[in-house]
Amino acid sequence: MSQQADRLRREELAFFGRVGAGVTHDMRNVLSIVGEYAGLLEDLAALAERGKPVDLERLKKVSGSIARQVKKGTETMERFSRFAHATDEETASFDLAGLVENTAALAQRRAAQAGCRLQVELPEKPVSVRNNPFSLQRAVYGAVDLILDCPEKDEEVTLEVASQGAAAEIRVSGRVAGGEADGQWADQVAGLSATLADLGGSLETSVMGETVLLVLSIPS
Amino acid sequence: MANERVLLVDDEEEFTQVLSERMEARGVGVDTAANGPEALEKAKAAPYDAIILDLAMPGMDGIETLKRLLGANPELQVILLTGHGTVQKGVEAVKLGAVDFLEKPAEIDKLLEKIHQAQATRMLLVEERAEEKIKDILKSKGW
Repeated sequence: MSQQADRLRREELAFFGRVGAGVTHDMRNVLSIVGEYAGLLEDLAALAERGKPVDLERLKKVSGSIARQVKKGTETMERFSRFAHATDEETASFDLAGLVENTAALAQRRAAQAGCRLQVELPEKPVSVRNNPFSLQRAVYGAVDLILDCPEKDEEVTLEVASQGAAAEIRVSGRVAGGEADGQWADQVAGLSATLADLGGSLETSVMGETVLLVLSIPS
Repeated sequence: MANERVLLVDDEEEFTQVLSERMEARGVGVDTAANGPEALEKAKAAPYDAIILDLAMPGMDGIETLKRLLGANPELQVILLTGHGTVQKGVEAVKLGAVDFLEKPAEIDKLLEKIHQAQATRMLLVEERAEEKIKDILKSKGW
């Protein structure tokens, strides 16, 4: 395997691992909460055995909370499944908007840790593309990563998907506390640009004051 | 042993609510904080037998919070309780001064055991400090 191909493989594995680690963290939180509620039900049952009256409203609330967490966990696993199955085929036809929405959802916790919030704006109709879905996920995640430096807490980073004639565009924008790009940022941009070139697309960047806009174009 | 008082630090509100309720039902006094800065404020304001700290929190993460907590009070007994566990993070946290590291989901009995141990260690440190103070006084008086 050539050095370049080897490096690409390592980067892709690292990306997969990073997303996987985020998902396992989220699932542990879901399971912890469900576990605590199960423990609470045990505690309430023990009290009932000792003569304390059962609070039905309380039980209903607890069961509702458990159901909510199970739903949250199920959604997380569905998203991760879609993410993982993007490796099934090197080239596939898919809805770009759906891919961006799923990737952004998986990146939400990473964004929250950086003090940001991802807001996705999707077109009314699907944007059909034929490309490498896994590499595109990596490109979208990489673009989001470049902008996760929000000057204020809970600030929005926006992802927009649009069809532009023969190309489809993903526009990622947000305010960045660091301002102008440094050397490391420039390297990351170059890396992202190379990834998009491999997909037959391109990357445009513009910085206006604190606002950074990345436009990822791929053939539709 | 006197009832323990702990500070539970985690950005998952539902988790801290339920765990607090269960711990309080077992005689442990619990305060909660949803992030690092809030934890630092509360730790400054009141003495805790143990601080239960999540590793992955938005903004100031668990490791940074741990460093600042122990920087302000090196005798604090901090137990990391996290869903973000790796052996590496655990070792890093213990090297920085955390007394223990548990992965979520953790059994409440195991957590309480760690809290009891933390309280005992804290009381020992308080006694040692008091002894040192007495020795210093005796020395200064030439007794």
